[in-house]
Amino acid sequence: MKKKITALVLSGVLCAGLLSGCGGDSGQGGGRSGEGTGQAGGEASAGANTGGVDLSNIFSGELEQNVTIRVLENDTAIEQGYFRELIDAFNAKYADYGIVAVDANMDQYSNLADDGPYGYGPDVLYQANDVLMKYVEGKHIYPVPAESLECFSQIPENAWNAYKATVNGVQYYMGVPVNVQSSMLYYRKDLLPEDWETTWDKNGNQVPDMVENWNDMYRYSREIVAKNDGHYGYMRSLYDVYFSSGFLFSYGGYVFGDNNTNADDLGFSAGNAEIGANVLLQQAALMNEGCIDDSITVSAYSKLADGTYFATMTTPDVYTLFLKELRLAYQAQGMSEEEAGALAKENLVITEIPKLPASGDLTEENPELIPLKAMGGVNGYAISAYTKSPNACLAFVEFAAGYEMMLRRNEMLGIVPARSDVADAVGGVSEIMYHNLDAGNIVVMPSIRAVEQIWTPGQTFFEDLAKDAFRPEAEKKYKTLDDIKNGLASVDVQIYDAVHTLAGTN
Amino acid sequence: MKASKVADTCVTYIILLAVCFIFFFPCLWLILASFSKSGSIYSFEGFFPSAYSLDTFKTLFTDTAMYNYPRWFRNTLFIAVMSCLVGTFLTILTAYTMSRFQFKARKTMMKTTLLLGMFPSFMGMIAVYIIMTQFGLINNMWGLILIYSANAPMGYLTQKGFFDTIPSSIDEAARIDGATNFQVFTRINLPISMPIIVYTTLTSFTFPWSDFILPKLLLKEKDLYTVAVGLMSLGDTEFARFAAGAVFIAVPIVILYFCLVKFMVNGMTAGAVKG
Repeated sequence: MKKKITALVLSGVLCAGLLSGCGGDSGQGGGRSGEGTGQAGGEASAGANTGGVDLSNIFSGELEQNVTIRVLENDTAIEQGYFRELIDAFNAKYADYGIVAVDANMDQYSNLADDGPYGYGPDVLYQANDVLMKYVEGKHIYPVPAESLECFSQIPENAWNAYKATVNGVQYYMGVPVNVQSSMLYYRKDLLPEDWETTWDKNGNQVPDMVENWNDMYRYSREIVAKNDGHYGYMRSLYDVYFSSGFLFSYGGYVFGDNNTNADDLGFSAGNAEIGANVLLQQAALMNEGCIDDSITVSAYSKLADGTYFATMTTPDVYTLFLKELRLAYQAQGMSEEEAGALAKENLVITEIPKLPASGDLTEENPELIPLKAMGGVNGYAISAYTKSPNACLAFVEFAAGYEMMLRRNEMLGIVPARSDVADAVGGVSEIMYHNLDAGNIVVMPSIRAVEQIWTPGQTFFEDLAKDAFRPEAEKKYKTLDDIKNGLASVDVQIYDAVHTLAGTN
Repeated sequence: MKASKVADTCVTYIILLAVCFIFFFPCLWLILASFSKSGSIYSFEGFFPSAYSLDTFKTLFTDTAMYNYPRWFRNTLFIAVMSCLVGTFLTILTAYTMSRFQFKARKTMMKTTLLLGMFPSFMGMIAVYIIMTQFGLINNMWGLILIYSANAPMGYLTQKGFFDTIPSSIDEAARIDGATNFQVFTRINLPISMPIIVYTTLTSFTFPWSDFILPKLLLKEKDLYTVAVGLMSLGDTEFARFAAGAVFIAVPIVILYFCLVKFMVNGMTAGAVKG
């Protein structure tokens, strides 16, 4: 009898546990439950009834008073003091409303989906577009009324597209672009041949040929490596999909079809992508085995500084790190800090990535050149759907994306602004990259969830490709372009399987 | 015979030295790397840095704008000391109770704790996280102390084994002299249990001191980071700082060990039953 009663009680508890999932949403967590029908959290139902979310229900335009908004910024902005300037300026402007922006004091890569629902996430986030757009499906971020922002007309459509999401047939902007991120070439001017102006400047434009096209870079790297004194020309970790995939895109490859929105159509092997992969294979032959993993990426700062590497390719936001290492290297040679700093600035050059040969043959003399379509990202601000002060957050985002703060951000951090007026004003790298984005030479990382699945298969392929340069002739896997094409095709299959079998569709 | 004994000793020492080298080499490498002048792992000549300086240690404690090592250290010390005090107290009480007292659910409780102890602590991470959010103990060091302290008595079996070796005749003699249970525990058993108390203290301290998973899960704010979480958050180019930070966290454990080891030896040599 006792056992029967126990069994009945346990069954009852089990049923209660199962049925507890059938109740309505209690609206747990942060401000998401109390934001009315226009909340991002209620997008699906609102969308079904009205065709979309009425953003005025979220952003009424009436600033919340006496509130504190927690802002998650990236570490470089905090380290270089930009973020302090930004929040001080914002707090001063909105002092009458009692709005105070503070550092969220969290890891720059912290996940809103983990922390937001429990009320520990930031109110405003600054992250890359692929990271921010992951929050869309879980409705962790609010759509923003982009058209009403002052910066809207100044930011190119390509950048806004990175933050576009379609819910129930209605398009929303889920963030505000701030910074364009893509690959740039870094090289040491003082490591150029002394007579480069006569021997390495065929077109006489006062720009060394080796930083203008990959064929001359290859030729120069081969000359350096031939000396066999442990020095290299161009060096880059090739396993990295972010940097290597641009070579595929330049010859017709792509990530997802329909402008990176269709996860059913994988295109790493599309067009003549294998030619681009073959360019990487040729480059690997003039590097060391560090190109297979992240050794070159991590060591590039010190190796460029000590002259072991002549050039590398990475994003512009790490310019200050390269500069610091070079300054330290000069100081170690006995220069004063001031002298070393000035010389480092003079000798460290960051410029547009070289052009590719249309044929894909790096040994070709006088090749027809095509631009390299590099993968890029657009970092920006998004507003958490768990914030209790959406209007104050929007005011912060608009303030941070304004001309003055974007200009200051560029000055202090060397980032490439997404605003055209700021890019034109500062010129140089910012202008080049801005126009590359505008011209479609920067392929913005897809903003659909399926993008999570591209990195591992892609990395495995590029690692294998880089390894091939160091395999004995008889063991090489990628002897012909067809072999490479087949390898890329299997990457597409792996990504497709991962997206549709393991992770569900976008 | 003598030659074979010498050979045996030599082989034993060679094996011991080889094992010592295998275990010591990574520590030596990390210590030397922490004194690297360049701060970059890629400037090493072979395995070791090409030039040495104390700059990294200086940076570790003075350049705190982004990586506030002194604060991480204070946080870790606070969590480890409090967990150690509460955890040791609870573990010793649990072990003593299980060893000395007979009560109805004793066996069941022993079996249950033994069974629960077999599950790795990180298995309940999601549950712990959700419970802590409900208690408002996320971003609160007391939340961690609570978990470490509550978990500590689960490993009471070692301590119970020690208490089992103390003859119950001592307790009986004390009771005949009119001692209460509390007096028997504090005046008789505790003084002769110093080795196990020291052991419990050390283990209760070292686990929270070096744990990564729970602090990473429960402490979101950088100001609350422990050393383990803080070191993991360092940037790619901060290797020397990482090495210096990793070397420095050994200091409190070494100090604690040298402070407590004499009690361990004294306790072992103390006798209770004379003649």
